[in-house]
Amino acid sequence: MAGDQDMFDAVVMADERFHGEGYLEGYEEGSSLGIIEGRRHGTLHGAKVGSEIGCYQGFAFAWRGLLHGCTTERDSKKMKVLEALIGMIQKFPYDDPTYDKLHEDLDRIRGKFKQLCSLLNVQPDFKISAEGSGLSF
Amino acid sequence: MKDSLVLLSRILAHPDSRCWFLAWNPAGTLLASCGGDRSVRIWGREGDSWVCRSVLCEGHQRTVRKVAWSPCGNYLASASFDATTCIWKKNEDDFECVTTLEGHENEVKSVAWAPSGNLLATCSRDKSVWVWEVDEEDEYECVSVLNSHTQDVKHVVWHPSQELLASASYDDTVKLYREEEDDWVCCATLEGHESTVWSLAFDPSGQRLASCSDDRTVRIWRQYLPGNEQGVACSGSEASWKCVCTLSGFHSRTIYDVAWCQLTGALATACGDDAIRVFEEDPGSDPQQPTFSLTAHVPQAHSQDVNCVAWNPKERGLLASCSDDGELAFWKYQPSEGI
Repeated sequence: MAGDQDMFDAVVMADERFHGEGYLEGYEEGSSLGIIEGRRHGTLHGAKVGSEIGCYQGFAFAWRGLLHGCTTERDSKKMKVLEALIGMIQKFPYDDPTYDKLHEDLDRIRGKFKQLCSLLNVQPDFKISAEGSGLSF
Repeated sequence: MKDSLVLLSRILAHPDSRCWFLAWNPAGTLLASCGGDRSVRIWGREGDSWVCRSVLCEGHQRTVRKVAWSPCGNYLASASFDATTCIWKKNEDDFECVTTLEGHENEVKSVAWAPSGNLLATCSRDKSVWVWEVDEEDEYECVSVLNSHTQDVKHVVWHPSQELLASASYDDTVKLYREEEDDWVCCATLEGHESTVWSLAFDPSGQRLASCSDDRTVRIWRQYLPGNEQGVACSGSEASWKCVCTLSGFHSRTIYDVAWCQLTGALATACGDDAIRVFEEDPGSDPQQPTFSLTAHVPQAHSQDVNCVAWNPKERGLLASCSDDGELAFWKYQPSEGI
């Protein structure tokens, strides 16, 4: 009797069992594919942020050199904003993507860069190209 | 109630175009209007009627969205969809563009002068608010670029007596900013509206801020300083703002503008249902939970959306309004007794 029940049980529950097994298989495959995709996305995104900030830093270092030795009051204001930007960039925690103020600090850096450009009277016109050889923000 | 707000005159200020905004000069003698026709017009009174004294049409390549007079009345700023803000200097009836402020990435939505006259704020669809400083030689310098909002910033306004700036955005919030150690920071975010906040107005004392929204409500926010008697929590030495009143159920469409009369305390609104409404605080209402009553309602004030309402700063009860239909209208507000 017990044997009969098991046999029917196996047949009746087969559908559900296959669903379950399929789900687990799919879930595992999805998870590992997801991790690969996530890693790729993270790398790309991290590279974008890195290149944006790197660009601001290069820009700031170049201008610091250009303004070196200028002594007018207007120039000292520019230097102050320049140094503030460099300071923010150097304080940015590059190795902690879970830093809770990441976006806030990034926005502050972008704002400071815009202000600097306004004071220097330069138009930032970095453009992105599909291959990623340019930069666009 | 229908006699409380009476039409004085109507002018087709920006023909075949929208009239977007109006601003009275500090003396209350001139009204600046701006529109989709890319021009700014200055209106002055001649007897009982208003005439166009100047047209400033060479300044912008696209719609002029807002105009603002400097506290001294000698300068006018115009904010445009062409991403620039022009500063015009008044010389009798002539206006000369003395500077063009650039930097925003796209449409500038609003411009406002601080009461000190030394600071100017602009905001844009690029989600940022810029603070500019002007010196005695009319040189403008950007002192801060604030990226606090997450969407299009629609309006900026300065506190009447403190160096405190407020902004309203498509992200449903109002943000406040002040200067802290040589830089400007966002010191408060007011949440509560359920949709785009279109405009802001401080009350005469500066203790309260009115905001109007696409969610068809007007909210009144009150400032609470640290150590306040009402026990409202503040973080550190920062003031906090609490919503003390919500006017809902009065407007059937988006409210595009709100204006708080500095002389009488009356609150006027400009609505997408073509109507103008005026509210007054009920006498004796609790300052921590004020109540406002509708004292005037003109249903067909204009034939299209009303974009702006502006109280004359010197003449009690004189209200100007403008609309998508290109018209500018003048109203006399006289609340009847016993409301």
